[in-house]
Amino acid sequence: MLFSRRGTLERVEAAQASRRDSAWSALGTGEKASLIAMAAIVLLALIGPTLMPYSPIIPSGPQLAPPLSSGHVLGTDVLGMDMATRLVAGMQRSLLAAVVVTAVSAALGTLIGVLAGFRGGWLDSALMRFTDLFLAFPAMIIAMAVAAAIGQSLGSAMIGIIVVWWPLYARLVRGEVRRVVALPHVQAARVSGVRGWRLLWRHVVPAVMPTVVVTASLDIGAVVMTLAALSFIGLGTPAPAPELGRMASDGMKYFLNAWWIAVLPSVTIGLLAFVFNYAGDALRVVLRRTGV
Amino acid sequence: MADTTVLTVSDLTVTYRGRGRVVTAVSDVSLTIDAGRCLGLVGESGSGKSTIGAAVQGIIPADGVAEATGSIVIAGRELAPITDPAWTQVRGSDVTSVFQDPMRSLDPTMTIGRMLNRYTGSAEASVAALERVQIRRAGEVLKKYPHQLSGGMRQRVMIALALAPGPRLLIADEPTTALDVSVQAEVLGVLRESIEDAGCAVLFVTHDLGVARHMCDDIAVMKDGVVVEAGPAEDVIGRPSDPYTQRLMASRITLETDRSRPVGAPERAVVASMEDVLRGLDRPALDVTGAWSDGALTWEAFTGPTAAVGAASGHPEVRLVEHVTRASLAVNEVNKTYSTRARGRRVDNHVLKDVSFEIGYREAVALVGESGSGKSTLLRIAGGIETADTGTVDAQGVAGEGTQVVFQDAGASLTPWRTVEELLRERIEHTITGRGLSRAQMRAMALSTLELVGLDASVLAARPTQLSGGQQQRVAIARAVVVPPSVLLCDEPTSALDVSVACSVLNLINLLRHSLGISIMFVTHDLAAARLIADRVLVMTGGEIVETVPAERLAQDITTDYGRRLVDAVLA
Repeated sequence: MLFSRRGTLERVEAAQASRRDSAWSALGTGEKASLIAMAAIVLLALIGPTLMPYSPIIPSGPQLAPPLSSGHVLGTDVLGMDMATRLVAGMQRSLLAAVVVTAVSAALGTLIGVLAGFRGGWLDSALMRFTDLFLAFPAMIIAMAVAAAIGQSLGSAMIGIIVVWWPLYARLVRGEVRRVVALPHVQAARVSGVRGWRLLWRHVVPAVMPTVVVTASLDIGAVVMTLAALSFIGLGTPAPAPELGRMASDGMKYFLNAWWIAVLPSVTIGLLAFVFNYAGDALRVVLRRTGV
Repeated sequence: MADTTVLTVSDLTVTYRGRGRVVTAVSDVSLTIDAGRCLGLVGESGSGKSTIGAAVQGIIPADGVAEATGSIVIAGRELAPITDPAWTQVRGSDVTSVFQDPMRSLDPTMTIGRMLNRYTGSAEASVAALERVQIRRAGEVLKKYPHQLSGGMRQRVMIALALAPGPRLLIADEPTTALDVSVQAEVLGVLRESIEDAGCAVLFVTHDLGVARHMCDDIAVMKDGVVVEAGPAEDVIGRPSDPYTQRLMASRITLETDRSRPVGAPERAVVASMEDVLRGLDRPALDVTGAWSDGALTWEAFTGPTAAVGAASGHPEVRLVEHVTRASLAVNEVNKTYSTRARGRRVDNHVLKDVSFEIGYREAVALVGESGSGKSTLLRIAGGIETADTGTVDAQGVAGEGTQVVFQDAGASLTPWRTVEELLRERIEHTITGRGLSRAQMRAMALSTLELVGLDASVLAARPTQLSGGQQQRVAIARAVVVPPSVLLCDEPTSALDVSVACSVLNLINLLRHSLGISIMFVTHDLAAARLIADRVLVMTGGEIVETVPAERLAQDITTDYGRRLVDAVLA
């Protein structure tokens, strides 16, 4: 009952402050931990490679040294390259690629979804049938086909994933836009005389963005996995670049006598996916509190 | 049995704790209800009345968020509030309840018969139970699902269900608020008769003093978690001693309320608006508060000229005019049909059938009708939100610019992430008057309009979610009139508000109407509010305007069946 009577500026500011506090305090311990873990991973991926004493692509020690060897905490691989260095570098690569893929897919999908949902009519039908076309085929197969067609490189794997990823956003955003357009505040803005792009930009899109941001943050984990899967089957970065999926796949050959070469990259992929999923959930709680 | 005490609440205090704040919802409340008596718990939102209603049923969850002290004795059995494990035995047998929204409290997957038979034991007994709540053809109703019944029928079923276990205490929490006004009186009648038959004690939670007087033997008025006044209904209603109760009583509007004067007790925000208007008109300042409380203040005092705008009047500049002959809104033979597909077949719903009417310059017209009568569609077409299939709407008028709409849910009609200043500026930018104005000029315009609706400059920077319901409605009105429209369309602007806030919004609309010379179309199902604002009342049924009645003699002249039911609803 903070505003039972005429609100003053002080009261309004107090409310803003308390909303910010409450967003954090509304989170559970696990959610807080996941956000902190996400921050730590991002930091590690950003500055980690420069702190590492070795190069990720030049052999720097004995071959197949097990974890906890002197000078090589996580051991070395077949060629004697430091595992810890390669994992951190691989994390940076994976995350960067995943963020780019997610951002491009989200932007593309949002654009198409907004157009379809806001304009409606034939444009809506056309865009949505086009979207359905992509959704009709198994995502992984299309991604593989696209990546294989363009050639083996990180870029082509990313393009392959973007091709299958944007339709999800287009569908999601179209639905959201249609819901928001029917809300009273948009009708009221229409009555005020606001039309077209301005209506869309000022009164509709801000209501859709939290959903897109939350979905994107949840998706980063899934994209990391998909990228790893593509390079696992040989469609990603060519060796010897440090790529987690590739490293796991190459390590399979030595699994029985050097388990760490395959297991450590796999665990890293799992960790990335888990933390980003969990943090995405936490982010949703925060955005629900502060947003629409 | 007749005078045994069924419910005793002593020193009940309930606090909610959440996010570092502790809110005392109820503090030190004591109540008793005897068998066969009905106690009305009256208050505005946030007064704690519903918390008490929930506490005596033990339905406040024991999850540590709420804490309570004090004791509750139901039919001789003492229970600790919230935490007592015995609540599960009491609830549903000794204590039952009728909630606000029957659709949400009836199980949608069960037939009425299946729900009712659990308590009555047999289909015959269930038929008898339904007949007791005046449901005809009870045998058929038993086979139906909740969604197949009307709102009034559902609430009757709910009453039958609540009374079936033979409770000692019945809690009725706003049992008619969610129903169409015209069936409220019937349902209240049914409720009163059936609880008299059952002989149980009743705790009746409501925000409406009129309903409480109609239903209850005793009344307790609550404010901020405290009972401010309690006693026999006639005393509390007839001779209220507490200033808050007096204010609540004064805010009540009936079909006899004087239309030419502001209603309710003088309120600071409205008084400020009035003084503002007088200054703007260069009229001599007068003691508005004094005149208002003496009953000497009439709307005549605020009548001012209207801004006539270029496009409509043919002159390039905005001019002030005293009189216009052209109608402000002309609706001509408007038809609207919605088509839906059900099982592959096209179903046409003819919502508006050749509707024609005019609203003259400075005239206010109210449109009443039950849900589904097409009144909201008509408003949306008049406001340009939807287009008619055939027919024309001419809202050019001569004075003011086009039409503006004040929506029922003001909070939802304001874009939550834009500041009040942005919302108002946006409206100004999109008008002929506002074209070419600088930011500072627009800000000044916004500011003076906010003052007109009783808000100050600090609101400019606020976002709608930081404002109270009453403030939001004022902002919505400010946006609608910042550039005066030819017609202001109001879609039940007061139905979501507390009585005292509703009262000040009605005063505000009346003030704006007189001072800015705006015509008004007021859609509502509250006949008393309609009469207060409007000169004429149009009654709509089945997509047609069936009756036009002058507001002054509404209660006497209204003849249609629906209209009469509305009149009864106000008198209840």
